Parts: sequence; structure tokens; C-alpha cells
Amino acid sequence: MDSIDRRRFLTGAAALGGGVLLGGPAALAKSVPARSLVVDEPRPPLAKEPGTLAILEWPGYEAHGTKAQTYGMLAGKDYTDKFGAKGLKYTYIVNDTQAINKARSGVQFDLIHPCIENLPDYVNSKLIQPWDTSLLPSFKNLNKTLVKKGQIGGKQYMIPWDWGYASVLYRTDKVSPADAKGWELFWNAKYKGKIAIWDGAQSNFEVAGLYLGFPNMDTQTPSQIRQSKDALIKQKPLNKFYWKSEYSDMQPAFKAGDIWITYSWQDAYVNMKNAGLKVAFMEPRQGKLGWMCGFVLGANTKSYYHAHKYVESFINHAAAVQMVNLFYYGNADATIKPSEVKDKALAKKLNIGNPLALQAKDIHLQSWMPQESQVALAWQEVQAA
Amino acid sequence: MNIAASKTGEWALKGYFAALVVFLYVPLVVLVVFSFDNSTIQTLPYSGFTTKWFHAAFSNTDLTSAVQRSAWIGALCACGATLLGLISALGLTAKRMRLRGLVTALVLLPLVVPYVVLAVGMLILLNSLGLHQALWAVLLGHVAIAVPYSLLIIMPRLQTLDENILDAARDLGAGPVHAFRRVTLPLIVPALFSSALIAFTISFDEFAIASFLVPAGQETFPLFVYSGARTPGLEPEVIAIGALVVVASLVVVTAAELLRVRAERRLTRS
Amino acid sequence: MAVASDASIRSQGLLRGALRPGRSWLAAPASIYLLAVLIVPLALIGLYSVNVMTNLVGVPTGFSVVNWQDFLPPGSNPFWDRFVSSIVVTLIVSVAAVVAAYPIAYCLAFVARRRRYTLLLLVLAPFFTSYLLRVVAWKVILANDGVLNSALWQLGLRQHGNGISWLIYSWFSVGLVLFYSWVPFVALPIYVVLENMDQRLLEAALDLGAGRLHVFRRVTLPLSLPGVIAGFVFVLIPTTGEFISPLLVGGPSSYMFGNSIQSFFSDTPDWNYGAVLAVWLIAIVLVLMILFGRFLSADLRAAPAE
Repeated sequence: MDSIDRRRFLTGAAALGGGVLLGGPAALAKSVPARSLVVDEPRPPLAKEPGTLAILEWPGYEAHGTKAQTYGMLAGKDYTDKFGAKGLKYTYIVNDTQAINKARSGVQFDLIHPCIENLPDYVNSKLIQPWDTSLLPSFKNLNKTLVKKGQIGGKQYMIPWDWGYASVLYRTDKVSPADAKGWELFWNAKYKGKIAIWDGAQSNFEVAGLYLGFPNMDTQTPSQIRQSKDALIKQKPLNKFYWKSEYSDMQPAFKAGDIWITYSWQDAYVNMKNAGLKVAFMEPRQGKLGWMCGFVLGANTKSYYHAHKYVESFINHAAAVQMVNLFYYGNADATIKPSEVKDKALAKKLNIGNPLALQAKDIHLQSWMPQESQVALAWQEVQAA
Repeated sequence: MNIAASKTGEWALKGYFAALVVFLYVPLVVLVVFSFDNSTIQTLPYSGFTTKWFHAAFSNTDLTSAVQRSAWIGALCACGATLLGLISALGLTAKRMRLRGLVTALVLLPLVVPYVVLAVGMLILLNSLGLHQALWAVLLGHVAIAVPYSLLIIMPRLQTLDENILDAARDLGAGPVHAFRRVTLPLIVPALFSSALIAFTISFDEFAIASFLVPAGQETFPLFVYSGARTPGLEPEVIAIGALVVVASLVVVTAAELLRVRAERRLTRS
Repeated sequence: MAVASDASIRSQGLLRGALRPGRSWLAAPASIYLLAVLIVPLALIGLYSVNVMTNLVGVPTGFSVVNWQDFLPPGSNPFWDRFVSSIVVTLIVSVAAVVAAYPIAYCLAFVARRRRYTLLLLVLAPFFTSYLLRVVAWKVILANDGVLNSALWQLGLRQHGNGISWLIYSWFSVGLVLFYSWVPFVALPIYVVLENMDQRLLEAALDLGAGRLHVFRRVTLPLSLPGVIAGFVFVLIPTTGEFISPLLVGGPSSYMFGNSIQSFFSDTPDWNYGAVLAVWLIAIVLVLMILFGRFLSADLRAAPAE
């Protein structure tokens, strides 16, 4: 009889414990279906959707009207005007490799802004679903070459938006012109402590590949990966730091004069020039890196129609033009006229408006790396070295 | 005459003590002082007194909802860990018990497992079960790391209870549950309170597990602090709310400790 | 309730016999909970480290020690070097924390007299404020244009804009922040041991004509060693897996072993290699526990009772 009593006590305690442990957080947790079953389920209409969008995005690209957007970008305004900014939850991309692995680890995003080199990985890992381009009125304006690159198996998995270059940004008053001929500037011991390359696994191996003169930077053989790794280990002590965020560590350090030489995209060049620094965006003898990025749609999103509205608010003509004038990146919008770009000389220098710019001879478009996981491992080794 | 230190030695020790206390509190004071600094960059000279960062912090819904989320998880963690700590302390203070060493080791194990390892382990577990990141998973992890602290706070208190009181209660006809509720429980309330406070603190401050298991767009307060501390535009808001949290926890820890001591003194006297 | 009361009235002896072994079952829920939330994940990491399981899609699994062969031979790869440098920093921080905390504990135990409890609370209170926020506070102090550097500029001790470069993003800043965080906590076990020491021993030694320094060296210090070791391990174990303060105040060359584990699982597709590092860290902690466990278990119990 004692045992009955004891059992009753235990059951009570267990029920109470279970109630606290499981019942409580049930209110916090959202029951998310574990596996994606995208196609055959009837989709709720726009009004029935939760309307929250978890977005994996580069810092600086937050929609207009959100608190985080302090750079003056117009894109996203149509969306936040209509639906408010409250439902937009941004998580930030440090580098491409980290972004895809965050998604792979199970974090659920409605929208991601990756670049083209990882598109096959997102599709292969079943992290994303195709867009319904009929829901995007401005889709017809987009550059056909870039649109094509965003397709896999005939389906439009990526809506291209931004493209541009990566090169060496350096202070012309501190770096002698003779040293600034190519990517080898990162390896120049004369500038030890004044260099900061990006914490970008894949990009750094591409840069090392160009520096070492490999014929194809994105399909390096195991022995080439090893050589690139050794080169990056040799380069490591010359860095002040590996920058993780353009706006929160690279640009402030460059502006403050802590670093003179950095891996950068053209927006930092524009910003530093506007800040009155004597800078140049190098035309390396080995060629610049080219990149294109765009929006992909999470496989399990519950805000399917909201996501389309969001992307439309980015790809519409007005937003695209303003983005070009702000960052001097290229935009997938093929209807941008030269007269709409403010700094004509800069636009010409960067070949903005040319739909085939990324196909130019001296541009190495960053593309899919079959050896992605070896490169990621090798980058870990460089960081640990 | 002091047996352990000469007069000079005593003064040297006191001086050192004061210096170390200053060292311990300087960063906290800096945090509070610069939460009122007008500039976005925390640098000298002080650029003027302002409370705008507090207003900004409180109107930043991302920040306030992160604090709320952490407070909820902390509260649930306090309940869960204290309950588990209490019942396992009751179990481990039983006179006879098989596997006592093993069970004790198991319950205390989270004290020595690096949180980053526990975090990646739980990530693998979720992944193997086909589940996604969720706040309940964060809570499960927090309860796991808080349970040993609860046990270590509650158990000594149980051990010092006079067995005779319980025996007396039973002699008077109280059943075990009744005796527990009417005799044991009131005597260990201060310990339960301390346990809940510690468990809340552990959870509210926990970063490693949260960084792997928090779903997109549902950051806890430490995650917000971490990303905010790396974003120049957000740093002043993080410092403002951080100063508040630090001062509040100093006050709460001191008050709770003083209350606990007073309560325990009263209990031991009676 | 009534049932139990009847039973106790009927036979107290029977009640005791039946209840006591039953009570020990109350430890079961926590044990089961920790098996599920702690032991199972650790076991899974173990399986990942030998490639029995993997997160990679389309990659064959099967027992293999390739990753271990790559990691284990000392000096063969950078993760090993990172591990060694982390351990060195951890040891330096632990020793420094013990050395700095000992006089504090000594002062509390032998000099502070009546106010010792208040003073102990004064030392311990910062430990109970947010760890992350304390690191952020140090970042504010040590940053390139932070409080310390800008104070030097204001005082004219350094040229404006020219900060001391090793103040932040260095081993110095990581070590300082870890030291700062753990000093108060280390004082606790040492204080407990000193406090419980039989003062008559010290008096006797003094009476025999030994100097205070001599008494300290020959009596007090040896007797307080369990507390010293406990304090040492209190710092050593949590800092071996540290990764937050290197992220905030450390630089690429001052990341710790914990950072390697963290970044494997957040930045790479291949968790199997990261699992090797995680298992290695657990193994090191277990070794530390076997070496120092007996000092720890006694004092862990004493500490919160204080």
C-alpha cells in the first residue's frame, strides 16, 4: 500500500515535471513539420499566412523601413509599407559557406540571399523550392543571362538581384603602385599588420588559386587545395584580422587607417572614396572576381505569398536603380538606363548596365565548387594554424 | 595579535583586497557610465550625458522581445531545474541506494561538460530526429546544465535537516508525503529559492547552447547582445540594456543572499 | 494520504523498510532526463567522430578512424597546435587566478573578522552578473579607440589615434577577460578550506617560535592545498571549452580550441571532423576529473552550502 502511495506521488511529480518541461515551452515552440512536403499541399492564401519572414541576409540589405536599414536603401519599401516591418526577422550571413551550413544544420528560413556558387548545394540539400515567377511582375525586366543562371532543371530557384566584383581595395597614398599589380599584394610582407582579408572560406581559396596561377580556381585538385591552404597560412600573420562584416569591422577599420589593404566589393570602394580617402579598387593582373547573388525561397516556408511580395519589392525598377546609385553594384534589372545612373564614369568603369559584364575575359565568376567540404575543412585549418 | 598576519601584512592584505574589488567592479562601472554617453563610440572624453540609448533600447522590439524570450526560458528553466534538483536530492539522500555513485556522477556531469560540446551534441540529436531548431530545445539544454547547481544547493540543506523532526512528524502519524509537505518543504524553501535564482541566471546568460539551437528570428538576449556588440549602430543600446541587467542582477543577488541568510538563521534558531 | 497514515500507524518498522529504498527512486527522473539530454548527445558525437553517423547527404557511413588519424599525431595538424596553445593559455589563466585569489581568501578568513560575509558577497557578486555583458564591458575598455586607449590620449601619454595594439584581439585580452571572470569564484573554495582550518594549529606553531611566514609555508599553505586545487580546477575545466570571449575580444591568432569546435559545426558541412575535436575535449576533461575529482567533489558540496 505504501508503494501505491509512492507511485501516486511519483506520477504526480512526473506529471508536474512533464507539465513544466513540455507544456510550458509548447507555447513558445512552433510545431514545424520535420520534412518538407512542398508540392501537393494546398497553400493558404496571402491573408491566411503568418506573414513573418525569417531571412538570412547580408548586413546592409535589410528592407527599407526596418530599424536595421540605416544605409538608405529603398528596396523593400513597398513591402514594409503594406505589411509593416515587424514580421521581418533577419539573421546575418558572415560568409557563403557559413550561410549554407546554417541552413543545412536545420535552421528554418523563409528567404535566403545566397550567391550563385552555392545554388546547387541548396537545391541538392532540399533546402529551397522554386519560385512562381508569375507572381513577380518585375521578373520580366531581369537580365536573361542572369535569370538563366538561377535555374536548375528548368526551375527558377534563384531570382537574381545583385552582381558585382571583388578585388583588392587599397590606399594609394600608402601602397606603392609597383606593389599593387595583383592579388599578391595580400602576401606582401611590407604591409604586415595593415592587411585584412575576408573570413570567406571559398573566396579566399579562389584568391589563393589566382595568386598561385591555377587554371581553374573553383575546381582545385586535392593537391592544389593543399597549396592554396599553405599559401593562406603563410599570408595569415600579415593580417590585422579576418573581417567578418563589411560594415561593422572592415569599413570602420579601413576608414580609421587601421588597415590599408583589404578584400572588398565595390560598395566599400565607393564609401571610402566618398569618405575622402585616397583609394583604388585594383584591376589585378590575374583578373577580378565576379559574383552574382539573388533570392531563394525556403522549402518549408509558411509565408509563400509574402515571400514573393517581398522579393518583388526588391526587384522593381525604382528599387533596382536606387540600389545601383547607392552601392554601385550591378543589378539584374536589365531596363536600367545609363541616364538613371548618377556617376557615369564610375558606372562605365564598373561596366554596370552591360548584361554581359560578368562574361568579360578578366572576370572570374565565382561558381560552384565540387570540393566544397574539403575547402571548408582547409579553411578551418588555416584559421587554426 | 593576529595569528595569520602581522600588522603590516594585514594592511597589505587589506590594500590588495581593495585593489582587487576595484578591478572587479571597474568594468561594470564603465558599462553603466557609458550607457549614458551621448556618442555612439565609447571613448574619452565623455561626450555628454543622455538617456536616449535607454529610450532607443526600449523601443527596439527586437531587443525587448529577446529579453522577454530569455526571461520566459529562464523562468521555466528555474522551475524545471529546481523541481528535478529537489526530487533527485530527496532520492540521493535516501539511506540506502544502489548506484548512488553513478547517479550522483550523472547528475553532476553537466558541471564539467563544456557547453559548446553539449550544444553540438544536442544539435546532432535534433538533426538525427529530423527536428529543427526550437526554443524548447534551448530550454531542455538549459535545464540540463542547471540541474546540478540546483542539486548542490538543495542537497546540503536536506542533509542538515534534523532527522528527528521528520521522525517525530511520522510518529505523530504523518505519511511521507504529508511529512514532506508540512515539515521538510518549509525548511528548505530558502534553498529552493536560491536554486531557482541560480537556474534562472544560468539560463538568462547562456550563449553556447542558444547559439546552435535558437530558430531563425527568435534570438535570446545573449544572442542579441553578441550580435549587437559587433554592430556599431546597435552597441549603445546593448550597453544601455546591459547596464540595467548588470545593476539589477547585483541588486537581486545581494538582496536574495541577505534574505536567505536571515531566513536560514531564523529556521536554524527555531 | 489516508492509506499511508494507516500504514504508519500499523507498523513503523515496516514503513521505514518499505519507504527508504523507495525514496531513492526519486533520483530517477533527473537521471533519465540527463541520459536523454546529455548522454545521448555525447554518444552521438562519439558516433560522428568515427563516421558511424554523418549529417552529409549521400555520403556513405561506416566505422572509420580516418579523422582521428588526421587529428591525433601531435604536431601533424593545426587543430592540435591550437589545442596546445589553448591549454597553455588556460593553465596560465588558472594559475594566475589561484595566485590572485589566494590572498583574497586569506584576507577573508583571517583578517576580515566580522564583516567577512559581506566582503565575500562583495567579491562574489560580479560573478553572478552576465558573463557576456562583462566581456562586452571589457571590449568597451580595451577597444582600439576604447576607454583605456582614449584615456592615454587624453593624458598625453600616447599620440592621439595611436592605440596600444595588443590591448584587444590578442591573447592578452582573451587571457585578461578569462582571468577577470574566474578570480572571484576561485576565492570561494580556498576561503572555505582556510575558514575550516583548525586555528589552534597555527597558534601552536607560533607558540613554538616559528615566524608567520614560516607557519604559512609549512602549515597554512599545505593544509589549504585541497581548496587551491579545487579552485584551479574550477577555472581549468570551463575555460578549456571557452569560445565566447575569443570571439568578442580575441583575434584570428588568439582563437581557442572551443572556437574550432564551434566553427566546425556552424561554418562547415562536415560535422564528423568537428566531432573528433569535441570528443577529444571531453576526454581531456575526463582526465582532469580523474586527476582532481576528489578535491572537487568535496568542495563542490561545501561551496554552495556556504
